[in-house]
Amino acid sequence: MSWTVIFNDIYWVFWREIKKFTQQRARILMLVVQPLVWLVLMGNSMAGLTRNPIAAKMLGTGNYLTFMTPGIMIMTALFGGVFGGTSILWDRRLGFLNKMLSAPIHRAAIPLGKLMSIGLQTMMQALIIAIISLFLGVHVVTGIPGIIFLVFIAGMFGIIMASISLALAANLKSIESLMAISNFLTMPLMLTSNAMFPISAMPAWLSVIARLNPLSYAVSAMRTIATQGWLFHAIWMPVLLLIIIALITVSISIMMFYRSVS
Amino acid sequence: MMNHIIEAHGLTKVFPGGIVAVNDVSFSVEEGEIFGFLGPNGAGKSTTIAMLTTLIRPTKGHATVAGIDILKQPYQARLAIGYVSQDLAVEDALTGYENLRLQAGFYHIVKIEALKRIDEVLEMVDLKDRAKDKVETYSGGMRKRLDIACGLIHRPRVLFLDEPTLGLDIQTRREIWKYVNHLRKEIRMTIFVTTHYMDEADSLCDRIAIIDKGIINILDTPAALKTSLGNEIVDFTFSKGTLEEQEETLQKITSLDFIRNIKFAQEKGYIASVTNGESSVPAIFEAIRDFPAKIGSISFKQPSLDDVFLHYTGHEMREEKVDKETGFRTRMIMRRTRR
Repeated sequence: MSWTVIFNDIYWVFWREIKKFTQQRARILMLVVQPLVWLVLMGNSMAGLTRNPIAAKMLGTGNYLTFMTPGIMIMTALFGGVFGGTSILWDRRLGFLNKMLSAPIHRAAIPLGKLMSIGLQTMMQALIIAIISLFLGVHVVTGIPGIIFLVFIAGMFGIIMASISLALAANLKSIESLMAISNFLTMPLMLTSNAMFPISAMPAWLSVIARLNPLSYAVSAMRTIATQGWLFHAIWMPVLLLIIIALITVSISIMMFYRSVS
Repeated sequence: MMNHIIEAHGLTKVFPGGIVAVNDVSFSVEEGEIFGFLGPNGAGKSTTIAMLTTLIRPTKGHATVAGIDILKQPYQARLAIGYVSQDLAVEDALTGYENLRLQAGFYHIVKIEALKRIDEVLEMVDLKDRAKDKVETYSGGMRKRLDIACGLIHRPRVLFLDEPTLGLDIQTRREIWKYVNHLRKEIRMTIFVTTHYMDEADSLCDRIAIIDKGIINILDTPAALKTSLGNEIVDFTFSKGTLEEQEETLQKITSLDFIRNIKFAQEKGYIASVTNGESSVPAIFEAIRDFPAKIGSISFKQPSLDDVFLHYTGHEMREEKVDKETGFRTRMIMRRTRR
């Protein structure tokens, strides 16, 4: 089977997901409203923090919103991705999965097409967050290329989470249990990272966990770009690690999917 | 060889946990016929279809569809078959046209050709004027027709219809049968149908295999199946007499020359095939007048496929136990068809 055929299959799986997504007005609206609420509420309630010079130093910026924007992006990517596996379980329940499997579609195209659509959705969300935050006075020192970088990393993180979710979905077969596990995963991942809170202000035990949390790699790379500039020596490691994690999780999700349908 | 468009040899599927869903099933389907699998839910119909459409691998046995070995060349087999599941797997948020465009994409049909074929299949199922509407505005019957159209977009040699009228009302079911019959007549398509509706098997199928607990009990034309039971049927139960007395009376009835055979079916009592029409009822009474056991109820009728099923499987068609997820899916289909 040639590569163009596989790309064709991925494209149509992707097309379906995007088409379905754009039909849901409520979801698109929430895409804008949710980050807006987060930024306005959290941003305002925590803004006083930066008036304290020690806190400002820990945050690495005089504006808490600037500190938080990458965190919000990753959080949105986390929530967007972690429930990605439910789409395959819905397809199974509604019989669409069998419809695809009885067609001459390359098996790997099904998870890949879904992952790509989730990647694109998280990137759109990250872009919306970036635009809103600019209006709220956030200054990204690296400008538009920096924002593109932030959006790209958020998309990659969304794909990582969605791959984990898809791999779980392949083994679980029930939407309810996947939702439960996904819900269980999100909060600890969130709270043991530097998304909302600087690592330097954490107790020692938590900072160890936070440093190992892949969410922190993404956030710290993004935060560096947003607040300090293109410090390649500081970001190459987390970015490389993220790419490796993405490759591994995507491969695992494809393998798990293969196993569940053969 | 090639006039058998489907050939199955000893197909067997054992699911993890040792559940034998399909047990050594062999049959062949002629090109251009409507072939039916009749049996209750959980009899192994859908599992057989899933094996023939390459969705699951048989534990044992092999099969060819349109001359292609489904195990050795699953990809080629998928190109030759159309599969319309019982799930009504059309995308509600998309239009009818978009559903078909998606399906054409899955089959690698290039755009210009796809547009032509979408027109063609929409024509076949009479959905042309609704093609631009979202599927969520369609009735149950329209959704099913669209789903069937999806299965036709790549012009398959064989179309598999798994419970094509599940959950639909009787009028809509007749309408679906009309379209299916039309497909066979107009484009000589071979159609493999599974159903647990007797009337569906009767009015749609050229040949029927009765499947129960994973085994084919009998395979023939509906007419031949019915006549195999004798010309008419008499059901009766005993109301008086001990078991021995009933046994003695039964032997007398069995020995009558117009009785072809008698079977015992739990809830229905005894079922006798008779050859002398309505006069068999008074004849039976006459014959056992001096016997101690008395007949409590008796009825006379032309055999239906229900009787055929009862005769060959020894029980009436009823739902088998299904697992939670299957039950959920069935309720889902019901809900989606009724709107």
